[in-house]
This record gives sequence, C-alpha cells and structure tokens, in this order.
Amino acid sequence: MSAPVHFAPGRRRLLVGAAGLAALGGVAAFRAYAASRGLALRTRAGLAFGTTVALTAAGPDPSAIEAALSDGFAAMRAVEDAASLFRSDSALARLNRDGVLEAPDPHLVVLLRFALALAAETGGAFDPTVQPLWPVWAQAAARGERPGAEALRAALARVGWQRVQVGTDRVVLEPGTALTLNALVQGYAADQVMAALRARGIADAFVDTGEFGAAGAHPDGTPWRLGLADPRHPGAVAAVIAPFTGFAATSGDYNMSFSDDRADHHIFDPATGRSPRALSSVTVTAPTGLAADGLSTACMVLGRARGAGLVAARPGCAVRFTGKG
Amino acid sequence: MGGGRGAGLLLRAALLLLAVLVAHPAAAGQLDRAGLERHFPPPLVVGEKDDRLPVWPILKQQAGSYEVFAYAFESVDLAPIPGFGGTPPDLLIALAPDGTFRDVTVLSHHEPVFLEGLGPEPLFAFVEQYAGLSARQAIRVGRPNARAAGAAPQTTVDGISMATASTRVINQSILASALAVARAKLGFGAANVGLKVEARPDLYEPLALTDLLARGWVRRLTVTNADAASAFRGTGVADPSEGPPDAALTDLYVAALDPPAIGRNLLGPTRYDALMHELGPGNHAVMVISAGPEDAPENPVGDRFVLGAVPERLAISQGGLIVNARDMAVERRGAGLAEGLPPGPWTILRIDQAAGFDPSAPWVLTETIVRERGQILSEKIARTFTVETALPADLFTRIRPDDGPSWTDPWRARAPELALIGLMLAVLVPVLSRQRGLVADRRRFALFRLGFLALTLGFVGWFAQAQLSIVTLVGLVRAATVTHDLAFLLYDPPSLVLWAFALVALVAWGRGTFCGWLCPFGALQEFVGLLARPLRIRPVAVPPGLDRALRSLKYVVLAGILGAAAAGSPLADTLSEVEPFKTAITLYFVRAWPFVAYAAGLLVLNLFVFKGFCRYLCPLGAGLALLGRVRILDWIPRRAECGSPCQLCKVRCRYGAIAPSGRVDYAECFQCMECVTIIHDPGQCVPEVVARKRGRRAAPRPVTVG
Repeated sequence: MSAPVHFAPGRRRLLVGAAGLAALGGVAAFRAYAASRGLALRTRAGLAFGTTVALTAAGPDPSAIEAALSDGFAAMRAVEDAASLFRSDSALARLNRDGVLEAPDPHLVVLLRFALALAAETGGAFDPTVQPLWPVWAQAAARGERPGAEALRAALARVGWQRVQVGTDRVVLEPGTALTLNALVQGYAADQVMAALRARGIADAFVDTGEFGAAGAHPDGTPWRLGLADPRHPGAVAAVIAPFTGFAATSGDYNMSFSDDRADHHIFDPATGRSPRALSSVTVTAPTGLAADGLSTACMVLGRARGAGLVAARPGCAVRFTGKG
Repeated sequence: MGGGRGAGLLLRAALLLLAVLVAHPAAAGQLDRAGLERHFPPPLVVGEKDDRLPVWPILKQQAGSYEVFAYAFESVDLAPIPGFGGTPPDLLIALAPDGTFRDVTVLSHHEPVFLEGLGPEPLFAFVEQYAGLSARQAIRVGRPNARAAGAAPQTTVDGISMATASTRVINQSILASALAVARAKLGFGAANVGLKVEARPDLYEPLALTDLLARGWVRRLTVTNADAASAFRGTGVADPSEGPPDAALTDLYVAALDPPAIGRNLLGPTRYDALMHELGPGNHAVMVISAGPEDAPENPVGDRFVLGAVPERLAISQGGLIVNARDMAVERRGAGLAEGLPPGPWTILRIDQAAGFDPSAPWVLTETIVRERGQILSEKIARTFTVETALPADLFTRIRPDDGPSWTDPWRARAPELALIGLMLAVLVPVLSRQRGLVADRRRFALFRLGFLALTLGFVGWFAQAQLSIVTLVGLVRAATVTHDLAFLLYDPPSLVLWAFALVALVAWGRGTFCGWLCPFGALQEFVGLLARPLRIRPVAVPPGLDRALRSLKYVVLAGILGAAAAGSPLADTLSEVEPFKTAITLYFVRAWPFVAYAAGLLVLNLFVFKGFCRYLCPLGAGLALLGRVRILDWIPRRAECGSPCQLCKVRCRYGAIAPSGRVDYAECFQCMECVTIIHDPGQCVPEVVARKRGRRAAPRPVTVG
C-alpha cells in the first residue's frame, strides 16, 4: 500500500519511458523519420502526484496534439483534486479530515469502490485504510528508530477496510480511520489521460503518470517499448517490454524507504503494520492502469505465490516479480 | 486667478482624454510557454504550468525520466510590490527544489533610477547576486561592497548607491514570491523559515536556580529506575538496574540559555557574554546538565558523549519536528556558575537560526534510553522520555522574514541625515515667520538665504538624495488607482520628511516654502542665476500675455503625467523626464548626453528667464501650486499704497508673482522674502521713504490685504 511521500519529486522510476529510450537513440533521427510519415511527436512534462509526469502523443496536426496534451493534464489534475493526498483540499484529504464527505467526487467513488473490492478479494492484503501507519513510521524514522510494538498496535486498531462506507451521495469513515489511494491514483490517472487523448483523436500515445500506459505505436512505425529498471541500479535497464500497449504499474521498496537496507518502506502489510519483506518489486501489466496499479501493490503484500494466483485469475494481466537481493 | 481656473479646466480635460486613450493593464505575469523556453532552453524542459500557482516546473531529463531542475515564476504574480515609481517590478525567478535560487532575471521594471542614468546594468548585476543563495534565509540589502567588507555572503547582497529604495523593493519582491512558492512546493512553512527570534537583552533580573525551576524556565527531567523498568516492561529486556526503584537513573536540568534572565543567572555574566558572542545573533543555545549518577551507561552526557557532535541520546524538537542541535564543546570549568547547579557533566547545544527553532514557543527535549535484548543476537530497544519547556514569548523579539525588509531599517540607517534635515527645518521656520527679525536685515538675510540654499543643493540634494519629484506623485496616483500600496514611501525617509514638511508649509504659506528653499534644483538655478550679472546677461522681459500662457503650461504637463499614471500607462515615466532633477541632482549630470543637454539648457535659460523651468514647466511645482490653494495665511504684508502708486515690489519680484495691482499670486510665489524685506525696510519701502521726506513720522503700519 503506498502512502503519501512528502518529498520533492525526484529519484524514482523503475520503469524507463519509451520517450527516454528514444532520446538515447537520437531525437533528431526519430523526428526526421516521423516527419517523413507526416506525423508529429510532442511530449509535455510536468508535476503531478508529487512526482514528475510526461505525456507523449503523435498525430498529423501539431496543434491538435498540443490541445490533446492540455486535456491530458486537465484529466490528471481532476484526479489529483479527487484523490491526491498531496493536495490538502482534495476530496480525499477532506474525507480524512472530516470523516464524512457529502456528494463525493465521482473519481473518488470509482477509486474507493475498486479499492474496497480488491481488499475483499485479497482478504485485506490490499487495504486503503493503512494511512494511520504512515505517521507512526515517519516519526520513528525521524528519530532513527523503528516504531514500537505498542505504537503499531494502536495504529493498526484504526486499520480495516470494513470501516469505510461508500455511496454515490456520501462516504463515511469510522472514527480514527484515514484513507490513502496513493496505490491507485497514478494508474487511474493513466486511464483518464489516455481517455482524454483518445477523445481528441489521438491514436498513438505514451503516458507516464508515475505508472505507464501506451496506445498505438511510435510515429516511426516501431512499437512502444517499456524499459524496466533494475531496482538496485535505477539507471540500468533490467528488461524491456516490447511491444508495449495497455498499462503497466510497479510497486517497489526503492521509492521511499525508512531504512537504508530498504527493509522498511512505504508499503505496509495491514496484518502486521510492517513492510512485507519478501519482494523488492512487482510489475503488473493490465488492460487498465487502475487494475495494474492495485494488483502490483497487492502482490507486494501477498508475495510471489498468492500474488501470481491473483493476477492469473484476471484476463489480460501479467506479473513479474523481483526478489530482495 | 484666471490662469489658475483655466489650468484646472485644462487639467481635467487632459485627465479625461488620457483615461479614455490609455488601456488599463493588470499586474500579471507576461511569459507564456514559448517565453519560458527562451529563458530555459533545451536540454531543460518547461513543464506544464501548475494549476494552483502561477509556477512552471523546469525539468531536466535524466535517463528517460524527468527531474525537477527548478520552479520558475514571475514575482509580479505572487508579490506585486510597487516600486519607487509605483509599478511593481517583474522578476523571473528560478528556485531549485532545495530552496536555493538558481537564477533571477529582470523581466520588466519602472524604477526611474535604472530606466535612465544608471541604466539597467547595475540592476541586472544586482539580481545576479541571488544565484546560489537560499530562500530559507532572510536576505538583506547591504551597502555597496557590503560583501567585500565582510557582511555574511549567505544573507547579504551588495546594494547600489543612489538606488537604495529600488533595490529594497526588488529584494522584497524576490524573497516574498520565493517564499510563497517554497511554502506551496517545497514544504517550507512547517519549519519557521527564516524566522529570527532573539532574546531581549534588556530583560534581566537576578534569579536563583530555585526561582528558575519554580517558573519553569529551567526544567528537570528525572527518570527513576522504576520509570525505566515500566517503560521497558514487556519488551523482553532484562532489567539491569540495581538501585532502589525511587532512585534516579538519569536526572537532567534543561534550559534555553539565550534569555539573560536564564543564561546570565546560570552561567554568570562573563561566561554568558562569551557564549552569546560565540553563538552570534539569531542562533540559540540549550544547556543540559546531568544531576544523575555520572557513570550510569544511561547518562546521555556521560562517558559515551562525543564532544562537538550531535548528541545520540538527546534531541530537541518543536511541533513534532526534530531540530538540529550540536554540542558546542564548551568546557565546564571555572567559577561563577549558579548556586545549586548540579556538579555533573553538561552539554551546551547550538541551534542554528536556519533550523527555524523558536525558543518563544514550546519545545521538547527527548532523552533516549537504549537497552539490549538477548544474549547472542542482541537487539537494541529504545525508550524515550520527554520534558517540555514553554518560555514566556515576551522574553524574545520575533522577526518574520516574510514581513519583508523592515521599513524601520532605512530610518535608523539615515538618522544622521534626518537629524540635519530636521535642524534645517527647525531654523527655517522661525526665520521665515519672524518677518521683523532676520528677514528685515537685507544684508544678513541674503547671506542666510545663500547659505541655506547651498545646504539644500549640496546636502539635501546631492548628498541625501532627497530631491522631491513628480515621480512620487506618480507613485501616489498609481497606488490610489492600481496598486493600493503606499509602503514604498517609507523606504526613503529624507524625502518623506520633506514631503510632510512641504505639505504642512503648503497649508500655511503655499508652494513657495518648498520651491524657494528646499528644492535642490531650484537652489542650483539660484546659484547659476548669480552668474547673469558678471556675464552681462540681461533678463528677458516676457510679455505679460505670453507669460500667462507659459505659466499654464506646467499644469498641462502635470495633467499629462498624472493622467498617464492613473491610466496605468508607462508613458508617465517618460513624461516625468520633463523634470531635470534626476539628471542634475540624483545622477550628478552623469547621464546620456540628451538628458545632460536638456538640464544644462534649462540652467542657461535660467540666466535669461529667472527660474523659467520652475515657473513654466515644473509639474511638481504645478501640483504644489494647485494643492497650495488650501493656504490659510496671506502672510505677505501689503500697504494701501502697494500697486497704487508704488510698483517697487512688483518690479523687484523676480518671479512675476506680484500683479501691477500689488496683489500677490501665491501660486507663483517662491517665498524669497524680497518684498517682505522691502516693506520692513524704511530705507527701501517707497511709501515710508516718501513719508519720511515729507517729515511725517507716523507712516501707516503695513497692512495685510486678503
């Protein structure tokens, strides 16, 4: 389960975007080739969900691409307004503060329903209510320690996905409950961005919202490629998914760790209040970013065997595990 | 006063015309994506503009993903602080994720001193100094060469002489806008960024340790064997404590030393002064003394304490955030410490101002006790014990950096100049009001006048840079219509004092007090005018009709400038150049030749038409003349004979302010006192001379005509 990372965006990326690989191969060559096919390629980068994001789209009309990219960012902002914990006035942040939210943002309802269904399916291994564990770990880490058993017990008493009531007119939390959807928002944002681009007639696009999505192909005619970085050597590419279409999400211990050995990190096992120790990272490909993102986090907690079973039950999904080492 | 009424009509017409002609620009950023890409060219990438703040992320591509290089923003979007000319400067600022300035560039400004004269280069060089400085610290504008002279290079930038007020406004714009972005984007604000809290040195009273403990100014953290045992209960740690449960395992005295009522009483005056000197202003010291068993392994300042390090077992926190505190390696020896202070080892911890620690708000000392569990693969288990200190806030002064540079600074720095200006005014007022005193003594009064004007030109004008100018009125109009901020006035104390005096004098005597006595350019003309006779230049007689028309001209100029200002047009800055003040006084004639030629030309004109600029062109004089219509006193004495038959004063008035009828036009009077001297001099005032020749003693006393 991801939790909010109150740091400036930076060093993170297990996945290396196709645009990045293109850059390595020489932008000019690609441009020339794309231009010869009558297609323009545009990338727009920015900040969202506390990290850097980049949208790449291709098409015959540069101004139409620019308009589509603006719509893509608007779609991402809408998801941030609904469910980002980086925004103190997002619908989710208000829900955590007040314990109740009337007329909730439709994006929030979709995300919560998905989260609770996945929690039920995984027997609580995936749980959006682990947020109370975050301050316990963050404060202990600031002192150079791990939280004591007592503190963890107290936080865990406030964790449990049954403590959330979701309706289209209101969402209610039991007292002391706090939610995080950080394990889902970036994947969901990839879905929303892709839909926004498609609505503008964009057939070829590569989306990096922190998780990844791709449609069509690169304007030079080659498929989109997604490089998977080595979790211990973030600059190096460990594997490449090619051709890449659909969505991919990765959960890992490298993103935000409480300890140098990465034993304690931002993904919590709701059963123990501690980080699952078996895996270093999990990458899931799926037909939607939402599914890819949720499944990758669930797999981190479930471990190799049960995780593989969870993913195998879903059509169009695949998983790749990296152990600690 | 027909001329005056005509001028009023003209003024209104001109204002109306300009208001219609000139569009009203809003204070807003000017750069779009393409503009930013010019400032941050590839390989940097201009990211999507933030949807909440007018901030553009500037990204850098790194192995296929992006990193934040800087946050770029325009100061005018976040901190539109009016400059000296009333319009906010606009600076493009790039702030790195760690809060340091990557770059500051001037996009636009209306600072008169940089528009012409000094030129923009010194301003460009000024803002370049910010690259590498941190927005976490309050940066102050020092004197020119302040850094070379030893000012702290992390918190001081070199100022520019002749542009003090402008550089302060620029500094404030940079800091305030950067802080707004840092708060929103970099998580500043949880810590008290740049907050400066200092203990008030005057609040000392002798207090014994028992008093300090009773007030809670010194706190005690005692952990008994029983406390420790209960904290470690259930952890599987074997209880190593031997002593009785009630005996102290550790016992610490904790005190913030900065307030003299605490530090001086605990350390004694000598050690306290030495410590404060070593500490430096804005930083803080906290003392922890052990009163527990010295050799206990739990003692946080015992054998295992590392001198000069950040202590392992002690932490100071505030608002849940740990504050960086480091041992100052101050040895405990010598006498003079407070009576009753435990004899155990101590540490004095230094907290840097940059840590944002606020000793006037509650803070917590945390002591960590670590024990081991297991024999072979032992595991460390830690437990913490805390004590809170809350000192009265009035022991301290707090300066928040976002208050901007304090407007009191220039007042303090320029106190000597203000004192001399005050002295000049204190001399001038009685001299001018006692008409039978110095004024009546023709020879001595002429000397006084020349001496005073020399001070006005040399000291007020060239040295103190307090030439009042139409630019200030432009700023006022802009403040009233566009910016709604008058704070810029406070940054130039000598000018503000003179303005205040000029306005009061205006009500009493009219525009003449300023124009005739306190205007440096006026004084310069007066001195140049002295050359006319040796050069055998005869004053040109301007025909009365033309003279009246020319007098109205200055009101048209005024209307044009103020109208442009009210409409928010930069034309106001250009039109203000009709004033030669900046060339002749502010910049000592060191300026592009057309400006020098213009100012010199006006001085030559002055040889033929005395103070022609003041009487025909000066928009400031026109403004004062209009405001001077509220004048209460008709203070120039008149006789029944004035005008009919006597024309002496009319002829002698070099300003043409006396009508053939003998009536005084106060809007044109420069208060040179010539006519007052005449009327009080029995040897000059013609009716008196005539009366005496006729042998009649009792000439009628001068009477005042309304």
